[in-house]
Amino acid sequence: MEAALAEVIRTSQVLPGAGAGTPPDALPVAAPLRDLIPGGALARGSVVAVPEFGLLCLALAAGVSAAGAWCGLAGVPELGVLAAAGLGLDTERTLLIPRPGTAWPQVVSSLLDGCEFVLLCPPAVAAAQTRRRLEATLRRARGVLLVAGDWPGAHVILQVTWQEWSGLGDGHGRLRACRAEVMAAGRGAAARPRTRWLWLPAEDGTVAAADALGMADVPEVMRAPKVAGALRTAGTPGVADAPGMADVPEVTVPRVVRAPKVAGVLRIAGRPKSDECV
Amino acid sequence: MSKPQRVMVVSCPELSSMREPDREAARAFARLVAVVTEFCPRVESVRLGVCAFGARGPARYFGGETEVARKIVAAAAAAGFSCRAGVAEGLFAALLAAGCAAGNGGAAQGGSAGPGGGAAGPGGGAAGPGDGAAGPGGAGPSGAGGPGDAGGPNGVGSSGGVGRMGSAGESGAVMVVPPGGTREFLRRQPVGVIGNSDLVSLLTRLGIRTLGDLAALPAADVVTRLGAAGEAAHRLACGAGTQPLATTGPGADLSAEVEFDPPETIAEPVVFAAKRLAERFHAGLAARGVTCVRMGVQVRWEDGREVSRLWRHDGLLTAVQVADRVRWQLDGAAADATDDGGVDRRARGWSRSEAGARSATCQPARWKPEPVITGSGFHRAAVDEVEGAARDHGASEVGVRGGGRKAGGARGGERKAGGVRGGGREAGVRGGGLGGITVLRLVPDQVVRATGHQLALWGDALITDRVARAAMRVQAILGHEAVLRPVLAGGRDVRDRVMQVPFGEKKEPSLPPDRPWPGRIPGPAPAVVYPQPLAARVTDSRGFPVTVTGRCAVSAPPARVTVDGEPPRGVTGWAGPWPLTERWWDHAAASRRARFQLATDDGRAWLAAVCDGSWQIEAGYW
Repeated sequence: MEAALAEVIRTSQVLPGAGAGTPPDALPVAAPLRDLIPGGALARGSVVAVPEFGLLCLALAAGVSAAGAWCGLAGVPELGVLAAAGLGLDTERTLLIPRPGTAWPQVVSSLLDGCEFVLLCPPAVAAAQTRRRLEATLRRARGVLLVAGDWPGAHVILQVTWQEWSGLGDGHGRLRACRAEVMAAGRGAAARPRTRWLWLPAEDGTVAAADALGMADVPEVMRAPKVAGALRTAGTPGVADAPGMADVPEVTVPRVVRAPKVAGVLRIAGRPKSDECV
Repeated sequence: MSKPQRVMVVSCPELSSMREPDREAARAFARLVAVVTEFCPRVESVRLGVCAFGARGPARYFGGETEVARKIVAAAAAAGFSCRAGVAEGLFAALLAAGCAAGNGGAAQGGSAGPGGGAAGPGGGAAGPGDGAAGPGGAGPSGAGGPGDAGGPNGVGSSGGVGRMGSAGESGAVMVVPPGGTREFLRRQPVGVIGNSDLVSLLTRLGIRTLGDLAALPAADVVTRLGAAGEAAHRLACGAGTQPLATTGPGADLSAEVEFDPPETIAEPVVFAAKRLAERFHAGLAARGVTCVRMGVQVRWEDGREVSRLWRHDGLLTAVQVADRVRWQLDGAAADATDDGGVDRRARGWSRSEAGARSATCQPARWKPEPVITGSGFHRAAVDEVEGAARDHGASEVGVRGGGRKAGGARGGERKAGGVRGGGREAGVRGGGLGGITVLRLVPDQVVRATGHQLALWGDALITDRVARAAMRVQAILGHEAVLRPVLAGGRDVRDRVMQVPFGEKKEPSLPPDRPWPGRIPGPAPAVVYPQPLAARVTDSRGFPVTVTGRCAVSAPPARVTVDGEPPRGVTGWAGPWPLTERWWDHAAASRRARFQLATDDGRAWLAAVCDGSWQIEAGYW
């Protein structure tokens, strides 16, 4: 009985509550990620791409799942469900298809019939025709497809451009939190790149907004080319070799700049509380 | 008195000697019974690992009891069971014969080892058949020197028995007691085989060491002295206490089928026919007040190929939903015909049973964890109550086989069958070599009483129809175990902490999550957990591999890590080693590792472990 009541309370809270800041034709995302995505939510029928599978994918799935949607996670045998659960994924509403094999387009379109959110790590680069067909299915099913990999024509492309773990010393400590710079680009409203600093994950395993204070000492000049670099990998692979963008050495420079790691640890100890309200 | 029934017993010692049989054993036994059922449809399961049937019919069909026994043992061996078969009059004698059949090669040595025959007496109890193994072999050659009443007839009988055993020896564990020889066979057995340890001990102390001794006593005296237990033992010893086998017959056929003539090459009419067929099927079940837990859908193609699949039913599927499942199955079969080995066939549960056997065919190659009634699946009305827990999902299992016995040839055809794939509504059912569909049949599996179904008042099932349909469609494509639901579990290892359960099954985590589990790594969980750890190489600043001693001393701080052949990464921070020794009492599951967390210069972090002197990457944080 109590369980049933709890279920009622949960569903009645979750569904409208999640929709509070979410348009009806979109799926909610975790609050710290809202600024990155046009409209603050994942539009139904859209494809979101993240170039590489990681915590960012799980954070997106968790945000949707926490709002009561079913998630289908296909093609990632190494998916860390525990981390996803820490981010808020409801494991009760999750389907895992670790190895969709060669029939993955069929699997994904079947999944889209039942799950509003499908994470896919395609085993190979999808042919244009397959992509078009899946996108049509996606629009019809009014779901969201998150591709961990390359998907030309994705509506939103999210990418971790920079990350650093804190908490590890030289033979002591443990991993505590990861500060990451996430950049969003894409088509249409998402065309203008946006960048946010996040704790991905924060010390309690969730995702939280981080301040860029830690990077205040990193000259803006050094970060700008990285954004460009991110755009390249995300969208147009061909531009990568453009002659004007000889920024390769600079990749190593920021490492030197953010050397004082101990300071970072101290900051984390005091910071996350105030960060969460951002 | 009518002639006693000749009984053949097939026993699998691996299963029958199991002290605490688990579900796995039950499933294995169900598989064994399915193998036996292919030779004789009416099989009694005596106990786990032992089944029996009347030998007369099969013996006539296959040309002799020894022939049948050999065939069954061979078929069971092909299915992975090492079995023994014994034939005698009556179940008791046949059980002993099967026990004696163990290792005929060894029986010859047993002749010299056990001249007394009574040496096996004290064994008693559960060890009865095992002791019996040495008994008859020994009694045969040493018949003259044995107990007093082993006279002339015994010598004759045993020589016949030995002859048979010798001939059967080439095919392994088969023992046929010749017709009429059962009493002599029993006479030579030690009393220990009775199994009642108190009685056996008493008899031994009274000097009665073989069943022959016991049978020689007057029945009335035995009852007076030993009571009911003694009388039962006496009857067994005389070969009289044989009750007829309670084999289960095929029962009423509740399946429904439709034939297509000419063969149907388009899926849509088949699906349409399935709708009507389902109505008929439901009406047939309802008329008997039963429903089935699962429903088998069998489709046969022109070339004899047959695809059968089980779908969870629970009496909840409407005719339209049944038709949907037929459609998915056809989709899956068509996709399968075009799939050139992308999916491991074994993993998808290909079975190799015979097309003709009605009840056995609906048993899949892979078994669900619920107890499944084997043999005749159909008419088992009062047998099973379904657990409510099992109601809310549908699950499917696949069994595809080549037509009839020419499975090999048909397989070849399947593999070649290319071409049309199930694309949406106009799913073609015609692969290159398949031809059209000739027969569609719905078979009830595990029939239970129809008790109705009460929907939840609030908060309808977590798994909505929509999700269940999607999941089952994927299962239809990839197989039952390709769609998983995660369950958080306990444990110290990151891999232990998530259990993946096939959709449609319920499983409690074996390691409870609500325990403290000291020794697990605190902090954020890794986003990437490799099912199989990646090989890695960790070196110090001079390029030497970093080692960890038995006392957890690290040889040098790690400076570079090479993960699975990728370019080396510089280590910017590390912590560890955190030793973990688990399950040292169990060789298969034991692990002894020292774990590290490494942060590398690309911003990532890794969970590494040293195990047996080599580095592994267990998980990644990014």
